[in-house]
Amino acid sequence: MFKKISALVLAGAMALSLAACGAEDKVTPPGGNNAGTSASGTSSASGSGELTGLTEAFAEAPVLLTTGGQSADYQMVGTLMKNLGMDYTMDNKATSAELGDAKTLIVVVGGSSKGLGAAGIDADGELARVDELIKGAEDAGLSIIVMHTGGSARRGDLSDKFITPIFEKADYAVVVKSGDEDGLMAGVCASNSIPVDMIDAISDVATVLPKAFK
Amino acid sequence: MTKKNYITAALSLALSVAIMIYTGMNFMAARDIPWPEQGPSVTDIKLLSDWFPGLKDTNGDTWVYVLQGQKPGGKMLVLGGTHANEVSGYMAAFTFIETAVVEEGTVYVIPYTNHSAMTHNDPGEGNLQYFTLQTKSGERTFRYGSRATNPVDQWPDPDVYVHYPSNQQLSGSETRNINRGYPGREDGNLTEKMAYGVASLIRAENIGLTFDLHEASPEYPVINATVAHQNAIDIASEGCMNLLMQGIDMALEQSPVNFHGLTHRELGDYTETMALLMETANASQGRLRGATTLNQVLGGWDDCYVLSQKLGMLYVPWDENGHPIEERCGRHLQGVYEYSQAYNNAHPDTPITYSGVPGYAELFLNADPAKLGGAHLGSFLM
Repeated sequence: MFKKISALVLAGAMALSLAACGAEDKVTPPGGNNAGTSASGTSSASGSGELTGLTEAFAEAPVLLTTGGQSADYQMVGTLMKNLGMDYTMDNKATSAELGDAKTLIVVVGGSSKGLGAAGIDADGELARVDELIKGAEDAGLSIIVMHTGGSARRGDLSDKFITPIFEKADYAVVVKSGDEDGLMAGVCASNSIPVDMIDAISDVATVLPKAFK
Repeated sequence: MTKKNYITAALSLALSVAIMIYTGMNFMAARDIPWPEQGPSVTDIKLLSDWFPGLKDTNGDTWVYVLQGQKPGGKMLVLGGTHANEVSGYMAAFTFIETAVVEEGTVYVIPYTNHSAMTHNDPGEGNLQYFTLQTKSGERTFRYGSRATNPVDQWPDPDVYVHYPSNQQLSGSETRNINRGYPGREDGNLTEKMAYGVASLIRAENIGLTFDLHEASPEYPVINATVAHQNAIDIASEGCMNLLMQGIDMALEQSPVNFHGLTHRELGDYTETMALLMETANASQGRLRGATTLNQVLGGWDDCYVLSQKLGMLYVPWDENGHPIEERCGRHLQGVYEYSQAYNNAHPDTPITYSGVPGYAELFLNADPAKLGGAHLGSFLM
């Protein structure tokens, strides 16, 4: 009899557990809930007191704009450059053969698995492409500007793979603060004496970038 | 058999019948789906089968709300409920339908793109079936569905899902995921037919801009993000810039060419539309979540995610404020607005303009904190 009752109770509990999924409960905001966003805001660690911003214009147009990691951040920088009326071409698969008459190379760093998939390239292949492109730019005497504009969303294993090898080749760097809370990019710039402007948002590129051009 | 056994058997039978009746009613009630009220610009409500008759009299057929502006212009499609457990997707569609005043062009809104998926849920996930909001007209009930087509409508799943026409192979369960079924096919399974219906609407109406509104678990890398087909990347860049300038954290991703079946890939490849997909953060979809409660679904409040954030396991910031439904719908609706503005800049001859739809500030930033988690969203609904 005990087995029968147990079986009955278990069967009933199983059926009710399915039906109970329809139960509705009440919304109760937790204490201390604030209207403010949970985003990290605009403050970020500056990484090093030795950082210097850009003091004089050094770059010249035309510009070849590319990505380091295939995130679409370079597209947004391209939109800003278009709005600024800058003379540039954009190529996310550029190699040294595409440098043409460019006098400045801008690399916007940020890894994206979707972007790599869209470009049909893997992370190692992308790193090799950018490395070859930068070597070509150095040999041709181009100025090199490196940016990280994607904030904290463009950090992590994939993005970090591109940051150090590309940033240490820069003549000038622009970094959105929220992406450098650990001071990685600030550290690379400080140890390589690369002038860097730490900005609050990608839209601030429109303020700092024109100042780099003669 | 003794008399005692007869009594036990009769009681067991009666209890079983009672449970069957109760659960059966619950099961059948899931087919009764709430629909949006007609907002000020709704000029027609059609069925998807009007564009693809192969869906007629199936559970894949769904209502399409047509909001025609006073002046001619471009055409835009908003897809909510592609995944019926991604609440901000269909609640943003509801909000758009009930509040938008379209001035130029025509906006088509499908609140439940996978209608069948809204007729069941995932009890194994402990998911809710319903939630209620206090709206202008009183208390209204809304559904919480499933990611996939109801197995009552399409079953069994194959071991391996082979996407048409790419022949891409995915897990068999993806057969019922409409966002792996595009561009669909006329003689396919129900999910493929629904996808074909959406593509048919886009082709027939010359839809210039298409949005697909989603949510994702906080552990998913593509979150607080927009994914754009390459033919939409210019307007996506401009729109995304504007969102960032308003303090809305939004990443932009280009649709991979080798990942098939998704709106942002196939609708761009197989129709003339510019296809964009947006993702917000939904705690109730994640693996690291606590018990699935309404506080979690609508408020995004979950102590497990606060801890997960401290352990560095999430792709979206998380604290005690969670990510309430107002923030998530606000992101979607502000995104639709900014991307459509960018579309207008690129297509000044075929503008799509509208007003009246609450954006990120109205829904979230300016809200009374005590009303976040559903109450404030409800105040905009009819």
